[in-house]
Amino acid sequence: MKTYMARTQDFDKKWYLIDGEGKTVGRIATQIANILRGKNKPQYTPHADIGDFVIVVNAEKLHFTGDKWNQKTYYRHTHHPGGIKSITADNLRETKPEQIIEKAVWGMLPKNKWQKKLITRLKVYAGNEHPHAPQQPETLEV
Amino acid sequence: MRVKRGVPSRKRRKRLLKQAKGFWGRRKNNIRRAKETLIRALAYAYRDRRQRKRDFRRLWIARINAAVRPYGLSYSKFMGSLKKAGVELDRKALSEMAIREPESFKAVVDVAKSGLN
Repeated sequence: MKTYMARTQDFDKKWYLIDGEGKTVGRIATQIANILRGKNKPQYTPHADIGDFVIVVNAEKLHFTGDKWNQKTYYRHTHHPGGIKSITADNLRETKPEQIIEKAVWGMLPKNKWQKKLITRLKVYAGNEHPHAPQQPETLEV
Repeated sequence: MRVKRGVPSRKRRKRLLKQAKGFWGRRKNNIRRAKETLIRALAYAYRDRRQRKRDFRRLWIARINAAVRPYGLSYSKFMGSLKKAGVELDRKALSEMAIREPESFKAVVDVAKSGLN
């Protein structure tokens, strides 16, 4: 018997809702990355897109172990000489709390065209509210 | 008799171009360009016929892992326990069972779980 190969059109996209309050960033990021890729399904097929959508609420209440809020630093470069900028996790949480989990998941996605596509299926909200009620997300305990 | 070499050469090159169908740009029409690409293509094909076996095994393992996680097992615990229990289903069969016959797959998971304690 030939190995089963999933086709993208055979799968309906589901929505999952994750409450970020008190959750460790890396721990939930791995689970989110797996759901986005569809690696949590026995039908997983590398070339077929069978992943689902994920909503994260309370992103500002996420948790880091150790002293990472002060020690973990995010770097970016403006491409001008001396243009390296940095921001600590604590400061990033105050300005753009959504980015902490977005960056963590981004780094766990495959480094190819899927990365850009799959990250758009992750919806992060700092507070408790999200506008995706019509999609009827299923609450996920992680 | 004088041997004329044009005919066999033409024949050989036409055969080459026939194999080069579907290549990109000049590589499908131009003999010199096609030749190198064809040599590479055959080398990749040879290598990938061997790699295909590993690629599939990796895929089956990823699928089994996804299938056993809801039952609180990891791939490695699951396979280890099956081996101890003497179950000889291979990874291909297990991964296909998980997709097409989740019920039977659950029975296998139960066997694995009972062996864990």
